[in-house]
Amino acid sequence: MTTRSILRAIACAATALACLSAQAQDIRIGANFPLSGPQGSYGDVFMTGSNLAVDHINADKMLPGKLSIVYEDSQGTPQRGVIGMNKLVNVDKVPYVLSSFTGVLKATAPIAARSKTPILNGSGVAPELAEQGPFFWNVLPLISFDVKAMLPYLIKERKAKRFVLIYVDETVGQAVLKEMESTLPAAGGELVAALSIPASLQQFSGIAAKVREARPDAIYIASWGAQQVQIVKQLRDNGVTQQLASFSTFVLPELEALPESKGALYTTQHVNWDSPDPVTRRFVESFRAKYPGKQPTIYAANFYNSVRLFALLSVELQKKGKPITGENLLAQRLETKAFDMVGGRIVFQDNGTVAAPMQVNEYDGKSTRVIAVLPVQ
Amino acid sequence: MLAYLLNLATLICINAILAVTLNFILGYAGIFSLAHAIFFGIGAYVAAYMGLTWGSSLLAVLPVAMAVAGALSLVLALPALRVRGEYFVAASLGLQMLGLTVFAEWKSVTGGNSGLSAIPPARLFQQELDGPYEALGLAAGCLLAIVAVTSVLLKTSFGRNLRAVRDSESAACACGKNVAAIKTLSVVVSSALAAVAGVLYAFYLSFINVESFTLDTSVQLMAMIIIGGVGTVLGPIVGAVLLMVLPSLFSYLPFLPQTEVGSIQQIVYGLAMVLLMIYRPGGIAGVARQGVK
Repeated sequence: MTTRSILRAIACAATALACLSAQAQDIRIGANFPLSGPQGSYGDVFMTGSNLAVDHINADKMLPGKLSIVYEDSQGTPQRGVIGMNKLVNVDKVPYVLSSFTGVLKATAPIAARSKTPILNGSGVAPELAEQGPFFWNVLPLISFDVKAMLPYLIKERKAKRFVLIYVDETVGQAVLKEMESTLPAAGGELVAALSIPASLQQFSGIAAKVREARPDAIYIASWGAQQVQIVKQLRDNGVTQQLASFSTFVLPELEALPESKGALYTTQHVNWDSPDPVTRRFVESFRAKYPGKQPTIYAANFYNSVRLFALLSVELQKKGKPITGENLLAQRLETKAFDMVGGRIVFQDNGTVAAPMQVNEYDGKSTRVIAVLPVQ
Repeated sequence: MLAYLLNLATLICINAILAVTLNFILGYAGIFSLAHAIFFGIGAYVAAYMGLTWGSSLLAVLPVAMAVAGALSLVLALPALRVRGEYFVAASLGLQMLGLTVFAEWKSVTGGNSGLSAIPPARLFQQELDGPYEALGLAAGCLLAIVAVTSVLLKTSFGRNLRAVRDSESAACACGKNVAAIKTLSVVVSSALAAVAGVLYAFYLSFINVESFTLDTSVQLMAMIIIGGVGTVLGPIVGAVLLMVLPSLFSYLPFLPQTEVGSIQQIVYGLAMVLLMIYRPGGIAGVARQGVK
């Protein structure tokens, strides 16, 4: 390398630095997603929503400068999640971080509290995520909302009285059990059996026998992933014909295509992809244009909403002449409370969770259809 | 920036402790264990449980965590170490699965898949070590102590016995060495010292769950010592630094799309392992050692 080329490289670097300083008005937020490893595909799904929101916010010139997202790879593990969060907060100095996966969320919550940087959860439904402090926000309803929505629907519309719960014995499953025990008597139902299962169990003929013995009107399943498919298939194979019900983890292509799942119901937060609501319509149209061949998902909507929430709060802060800091964003969120988002208006509660309208979905053996929309609980 | 570097350095020290303790059995006794993350986990769960129940005094927690990890490794290693080479790898894989299932299912102690939160910071002589400097100082101090302990052990007759077993079990046996006892003792020492890393990890992160103690962690530790240099003092530390720092360095390269950093990192690890095994089987520190004649 000659002296001249070294000088040229230095000049290029100086020009790049000058450009960077000229963009001092630009705003960056962080995202601590699994981008590699076994959970890497989730990060891809989350980014479809967050990147689309950035496109819209920049196109609308909602903020004084250009918004961008600094992505860190949490690999879905607490250790890498902590490293990523530390970099976002202490090096990149972002005022707001999107995140996912319960282990990562719980490991990084203390950093959020210390640095006063809001963490946005757009995927986890575990009940303890409501107890991670003021700088931990959930843009989706947690598990208790699903149960509170489904049980009255089953009792009123499907005339179910006797319920059996099949649940994986950990926090989400335990939360469902607690919710059913407290909600059913007042709603006119009865929990006749609660059958706990290990997360790794794949054989359910014994469980099916216990279910038949309990003679329920409906069976509520609190599990996730491939295990749900086995539960549904084996219950039906073993002669259990009663109504099956579950919550948002039931959103599985394998279940959609499973003939045995025909008639099974599950709740999700309400998003009508065909809604005339301008925010939802724009999201759906842009999503299909930007990602041809892909359909919008609830996770993409949640992370779109997370970025949109940042922009809406920042706009309010600008009007007041306040800087965009984590503390100011929190104060503004507590003041505004309700926001127009993809899927409708969401209302933040003081503990950082949202109340949103829920929908009951039904599998018909080939696809899913929405059969009821339930108001905000 | 400083806070980030302190955090990274602390986690490097914790991982280096694990790599040094795994190197103690892999590099010097030739015992390929895929269950090292379990003893890391035992230390972490003991610290979390004691910290949440009785208090987080290091003087109480460290000995208990080391004793529990050592005792459990003794129970598990006694039957498993009666098999050689690739058979022990399979047996240790079984230990890893078994341990992880216990971590996930023994909810009253481990919190199950949800883990344990709000673990208090470590205490030493009534002083809470909750700042980034204190945490780094503690982790670095423990790393130095463990390097010193293992180095001293390797210079004793026990260390020579380990090497003898590594080079030829049959020859060591023919010389009257109790091979099973030597191997078992080395695993107990290694596991007890790995528990120290678990204690530091639990008190530093203040949250633990099973995701930190999976087979992936065991494999990554093995990668650290293979890249750094098996059977060397510096090797595991060099490997830990490299594997912890590389992903962070990649994220600073402006020409790499940020969303592909994770995948590129995996490719680089794989390539580094393959190339090192072909051209420098002794690892980076092994190369340095070979260079000094």
